[in-house]
Amino acid sequence: MKYLSHILFFLLIGTTVSAQLNISLVVSATPPGTLSDWGNRKEVFTLLVFNPQGTIPRKAIIKTTLLGANGNIAGSTDLARAMPFSFPGGNTILGANDALPLGTMVFTGKYKASLERTGKLPAEVYIICVQLVSPVDFVPITEERCRNFSIASYQLPIAVMPFDGSVLDAAHAQTAITFRWTPLAPVTTLAPTYRLQVFEVLEGQKPMQAFRSNPPLVDKDIRGTTQYIWQPQLNMTVCSNCPDSVMPVKQFIWTIQTLDPRGLPVGDGNINNDGRSQPILFQVQPAKRKSAARATLWLNTRGVYA
Amino acid sequence: MQLNRLIIPAVACLLLSTARSQNLKKAVQISGTMGVSYEGYGLTRNPAGWTGFNPRKPWNQLRFSFTPTMKFGKNWSIPFNINFATKATNFAGPYSGIGKQNIGQFVTNPMNSFGINPSYKWAELQLGTQYLNYSELSTGDIGVFGAGFDLKPGAYRIKFFTGVSQRAVNFFTGSPATTGAYTRHNWMFQIGKEKEGKYLVALNFVKAKDKVSSLAVPPPLVTPQEGFTTSLVTKIYFKAGWYFTAEGAQSFYTKDLNAPLSTTVNSFKPFIEGHTSTIRDFAGEGSIGKRSSLFDIGVKLKFLGAGFQTPGYPFLQPDRLDYTVNTRINTWKQKMNIVASVGQRVNNVSNTTLRAKQLIGNINWFTQFNDNWSLNLSYNNFGFQAPGGINPYGIKNVSNDLGINPSYSWSNSSMSHLLSLNYNYSKYDERDVMTGLLTSNNTHMGLLTYVPTYFNKDLTPDFSVLYFYNNFPGFKTALLTLSSGISFSAAQKKLRLRGQLQYTLGKNNSFSSSNNFIASANIDWKLNERLTWSNFMGSNYYKYGNEITPAGASYLESNLRTGLQYRFGK
Repeated sequence: MKYLSHILFFLLIGTTVSAQLNISLVVSATPPGTLSDWGNRKEVFTLLVFNPQGTIPRKAIIKTTLLGANGNIAGSTDLARAMPFSFPGGNTILGANDALPLGTMVFTGKYKASLERTGKLPAEVYIICVQLVSPVDFVPITEERCRNFSIASYQLPIAVMPFDGSVLDAAHAQTAITFRWTPLAPVTTLAPTYRLQVFEVLEGQKPMQAFRSNPPLVDKDIRGTTQYIWQPQLNMTVCSNCPDSVMPVKQFIWTIQTLDPRGLPVGDGNINNDGRSQPILFQVQPAKRKSAARATLWLNTRGVYA
Repeated sequence: MQLNRLIIPAVACLLLSTARSQNLKKAVQISGTMGVSYEGYGLTRNPAGWTGFNPRKPWNQLRFSFTPTMKFGKNWSIPFNINFATKATNFAGPYSGIGKQNIGQFVTNPMNSFGINPSYKWAELQLGTQYLNYSELSTGDIGVFGAGFDLKPGAYRIKFFTGVSQRAVNFFTGSPATTGAYTRHNWMFQIGKEKEGKYLVALNFVKAKDKVSSLAVPPPLVTPQEGFTTSLVTKIYFKAGWYFTAEGAQSFYTKDLNAPLSTTVNSFKPFIEGHTSTIRDFAGEGSIGKRSSLFDIGVKLKFLGAGFQTPGYPFLQPDRLDYTVNTRINTWKQKMNIVASVGQRVNNVSNTTLRAKQLIGNINWFTQFNDNWSLNLSYNNFGFQAPGGINPYGIKNVSNDLGINPSYSWSNSSMSHLLSLNYNYSKYDERDVMTGLLTSNNTHMGLLTYVPTYFNKDLTPDFSVLYFYNNFPGFKTALLTLSSGISFSAAQKKLRLRGQLQYTLGKNNSFSSSNNFIASANIDWKLNERLTWSNFMGSNYYKYGNEITPAGASYLESNLRTGLQYRFGK
């Protein structure tokens, strides 16, 4: 009988231990700085909760703590306002919207200011720790799982050359146009792909209309450099519907779309989430028209065309 | 498309009936144009099945335009702005990849405009598609289909417009793929005072909100958003050419309307209610300067906070500070003109450790030495520097471009001649952030142009030869282009013909040469005083050397554009 009571005691202890919830945490080492984007991307943040008791759901609150580079608490869950989760038997997969709910997270100092202003955490190295606690007394019911990650506040490239509003000579431009842009900053471990896109602004169109509706004349992937020499193979010196008095000016709008090594747009901080930089304009104009105008001026001064 | 069957006969009837009725005297004055054009595009690639060059245009496209302005007496005016194409070709933006469109999508597609702006004295009604620019920091880049007004009673300015800038587009992974978009409603309002050429003070309010229920299945990469921006803009023009402009703006932007509401931060009720994804930031810009016939100088400053987002400029890149000084000098009996600017852009302003700096400076110096000689010099420089972060070296890119363009012209009693030489040298250095090694990319370009102008003949030819050479470690490209064009009139100037031929010989490293031949022609036939039939034909043949696989691949692009354009009025 004595042995039986010992066996029953150890069985009870064993059941209690095996009834504990287990958690696993997966966090990308370089997630986007915009915290609200984390919830839409499973590869950025995943919390796996395992309840070994198949038939008995367990209730718990997810306590998340974010530590900044110097070890100070950047933000933590307000346990009093956090909603308890019910974990049924087996695995439950949760995302950032559940484990890092911005509505119940309390951020402090510069982290709070940055999030309110930009929606992003300041660029530095962080530690995120997650633990399940009981709903009433907030007693830990799992071990704490921590992961490191670093935020780099990426700035999309800026289209530089041809400069915004510049006018290129058609005779030159129809052979080659050189495009230059600033790189994605800071530099990523794996080089991004820059996708150069040039759109012609057709007659009657506004530049942004052309950008949002025309097919691009160039859609070229470039890696490892921030320059591309385009051979347009277009006739730049003639156009239809150009009266004699009007110069056949062609107008173009161009941008750089930045893609990460997986081919996805680098959209952090870009409200369109398409990784496209602010497009800029340039024009192509035949020099002979300019020259002709200059020649006419020259002749006028002599009274040839009085 | 069903729409074509209705539109084509309707436009044709309109063209003909309008043409016949022009002799009638009308109390109504009409100016402007209307027209229809067809563009056909062809691409033949060799060898068959090779996909190294993609089509650059739709195979067939029909475009219609109707842009007359009707005036009734002194005070009434009705300008139309109707432009549309039958085939959707969207590539960037919410309609990207859309194939078949419903009526709502067709009407709000940015490739189409259906706008009418009737006005009476100082009151203008704005109906249909409008691209309204209220200011640099509030709205100006977005076309909205809706209704509104622009009132200018005396010095007061009251503007309002509301409508839809995009209709819902379902996410689709197939070919072509669509990223999806929510229906977006826009509102804009301006109130202020203005005296043209003297001052402007105006307060702007701009709002846009996506309709979350407009899509049954949320697209994976697109979130429903809401934005509200308010700005105060001031412009003052003083005597003697001095001016001062300033604008300050505050934006609220919700990046995900599905995120929970927040009671603690970033609400600006009743205009916008804060969600946990709502951000708020400031932007400002200002300029001060003086303009005159001989001398201009101005300073411009622009700051965009890291969280500044306005629905009226969806591609605006925030988190930067720009400042530039511009000048223009007209001197030496107005034969010398110098335009110069220098400035700096600081990117990532919010990030003190990874802040990037970009220096931009350029100068253009034109001198007309005498009746024959002129010289244009230009120099552009930009540099970009950013700390390396975890890399051993920081980013450092420097671009230098120098242009020298002397021109010589002379004439006799029958013709004038113009000879122009253009030389450009461009150097672009990029530093490798891992090794610190500098890669230098050098480009030389020489262009010689000759333009004779006949005084007694309606004939305008031109000839040019261009040499282009680019090299950077491990790669060299050389291009030689010969080009000639001619334009002349025929049939008592009713027919205007323009043509151009261009041949380019290209060579990369030691690969065999590539060849490019471009031919194009325009024929514009003036059918009567008002009706013009315009035609464009072009072809582009490109044959690669052995730098690609398959060696010697080639393609032939052909392009045909034909259209009728009717001009209203005198």
